[in-house]
Order: sequence, then structure tokens, then C-alpha cells
Amino acid sequence: MFVFNKATRLSYSALRTYSASAVLNPTIVEHATTLPKAERTDPLLSSPDYFNVHNLFTVKDLFEARVHYGHKDGSLDERMLPYIYGSRLGHLIFDLDKTAEYLRRALNIAAHTAYRDGIIVFFLRNAQNAHIVEKTAIECGEYAHTRYWRGGIFTNSTHQFGAVTRLPDLCIFLSTLNDVLLQHTAVRDSAKMGVATIGIVDSNSNPNVITYPVPGNDDSPSAIQLYCKLFKAAILRGKDKRKEHLVESSSEKPTL
Amino acid sequence: MARSRLEKIGTIYSRTKGLIQSGALQWEDRPLWYDLYEAFPPLEEPRFDRPAPNITLKKIFYEEDKIRALLHNRNKHIGTVNMFNNQSHTLTKRFIESYKKLDEQYVGTASEDVLYNETIELLQHERNKPDDDHISLAKSFKEAQQSGNPNIGIKVGDIFKN
Repeated sequence: MFVFNKATRLSYSALRTYSASAVLNPTIVEHATTLPKAERTDPLLSSPDYFNVHNLFTVKDLFEARVHYGHKDGSLDERMLPYIYGSRLGHLIFDLDKTAEYLRRALNIAAHTAYRDGIIVFFLRNAQNAHIVEKTAIECGEYAHTRYWRGGIFTNSTHQFGAVTRLPDLCIFLSTLNDVLLQHTAVRDSAKMGVATIGIVDSNSNPNVITYPVPGNDDSPSAIQLYCKLFKAAILRGKDKRKEHLVESSSEKPTL
Repeated sequence: MARSRLEKIGTIYSRTKGLIQSGALQWEDRPLWYDLYEAFPPLEEPRFDRPAPNITLKKIFYEEDKIRALLHNRNKHIGTVNMFNNQSHTLTKRFIESYKKLDEQYVGTASEDVLYNETIELLQHERNKPDDDHISLAKSFKEAQQSGNPNIGIKVGDIFKN
């Protein structure tokens, strides 16, 4: 009885010794260095662009959709400087070669997430472009959140929805700002909850906690339409491949 | 599921990796993006405290901006430009092209003022030049009037006959 009491009383320090031993214990450290890597076994991950998302657009498409227009240089967030080509008479112009590279990486991630049956949510707090984003989400069988963000949808989901809730696997922010030029709360909440993010970051946005930022214009309807079209195409490519592979594996099973 | 909510420390990947290494999170329970992140890591680490790089913002200027400035300094009211129109060139562009051509003809000997005046004259001459292939309603009406009564060969009464 005494031992039991002591154990419960000392549970906190016991936990501390456990965590200290986790660092020092050679078997656990060894396990850490030899963590399995999925890319060694998965042929999809060893290919740099399995879904061929690079051919979805050209730099000229970006230019024609007015992706290169940033805000005026007074509103520049200094962390966006590496993605900006220059300032034309006070207006910032994005380097579209860089935008294309970041966008292709983001599209690749979106396609892979869709292939693995991940939940994807589109975000945009711009009323003018909200409808096209919601339509895109419906068309590719995913979700959109374009309304007021009630705090705690991610961070307190169990309470808000009354049950344990599966959070999305990828959040795509077509603008990382909310309607009053502050960062969307879901950007921070995604980082808190360990959800990967793709974000279109304009010249006045902060790209830091976005996992896969894409520098570009997030205000023009033409630019938003282009992003919607591209992400929809990438997600549908991932889903189509998934269906294809599922059919293949189910037809292979009887022979095994 | 075990989770670190300190979004200002490290990245989502480093925090999740730490949980897996310490055994708080099973390898099988890793998030869906974990393998994707390892296979396709972002170009920059998505850290909250990544400092702003020390790059100076360069200004974009073109050689012909001098000519553009010359036109716009002397003419404050040039009118609006339809930026969706890709069919025709703007006045400024036409001015720059003519100015450059004239400058080449003079082999750089003419002064700015002379070139400016001559280019303006040239553009005005082009504007007043009668346009042969241009078809307008007023023009075709005038032509029809000048040619006298048109002989179409249709009687109104015939239209209602079956």
C-alpha cells in the first residue's frame, strides 16, 4: 500500500525519468536513427512528379491570369522579398519563374494527398471569389470553408462537434489573410494541430508557417480561377490514379 | 493522439518526428502528409521564426521609360487605356516606336525636342489618314446615297406571297 502511494505521488518525477531515459536509452535512440522511410518502399514517392502536374500550366498562363501583380510596395511583408522580382513604379511584381516552381510543388502535394484519400479543405475569406472556391471544392469532391472562422474548429473540435473529429490532411489557402488583412486563424490552428498547408501568399502575407507557400496574387478573380482550376485538376488526377490502382489490386487478389 | 501545439517551435514535421522518436506517437499513426513531407520537402523550412532575408528590393525600369516620361510629362491628359484590348497598340507604345525609328534615321544627331515634335506630327498624320478598309454605318449610308437609288429587285408585295 505504501509503495503504491509512493508511486502515485512520484508519478510526475517518474514521468520525467522516463523521458530522460528515452533520450539516453541506446535502444530508443537507435530506433530513432533508423526510422523507416516510406519513399524507399513506395514507387509513387520516388518519382519526382508522378501525376505530371508540371504540364498543368505554363508561366504564360500565370501571366495572363495576372498572378504577377503584388500589392503596393508600402504594404510589403519583408519575408516575401525572395519571391519578388521588383517594384514597378511602386507596384510589386512577382517572379513568375519562382511562382511556377512553388506552385508545381504544391500541386504535386495536393495530388499525392488526394491519392492517399486525404481530406482537403479550401479556404478563402474573399466574398467576391468565395463562390468559385466552393464550387471547385464540390466539383473535386472535397471541402471548402469561406465563411467566418469560429475559433476552435480545429483546436477544440471534439467539443465543438460533440465527438472525436477527423481533421483535414491538407488545407489549401487561396488567400492566407482573412477579410481584415490579418492572417487567417486557420493558418495558425493548422500549424498547431499538425495539418499540412498550401497557401497562396501575396506580397503583404507572411509565408512562414505555411508548409508549401506559393507566392502570387490572391485578389484578382482571374488568378483565383486559375488556382482553382489547377488544384482541381491535380486532385482529380490523384483520385483517378487511386481508383485505377484500387481496381487493379482488386482484380489481382483472386490470383493471389 | 499525442500532439504538440507549440506552433512557434520548429516545424510541423520536426514536432511530429520528435513525437515518433520519443515513442509518444506510433510510426503507424503518423499523419498522412508525413511521408509526402519526407519525399518532397518544402524549399524552405516552414518555421515560425524564419527571419526576413536581407535583400534589397530592385526597381524595374526599361530603357524606353525615358521616352515614355517625355510624352507623359508634356501631355497630362492622354485618356484612359483599355488594358483588356490586345488588338491595338496604345498611344504611348505607338509614340515610343515612332520615336525610336526617327532616332535611328537621325543616327542620334537630333535633339529630344526635335524628335518629340516630329513624332507627334507623324502620329497626327497617321490619325488623319483616310482608312480604306474601315467600314462604318455612316460611311456605307453615304456611299449608298451617292450611288443613287439602289436597285435591289425586291417588291414588298412579293414577300407575303407564298
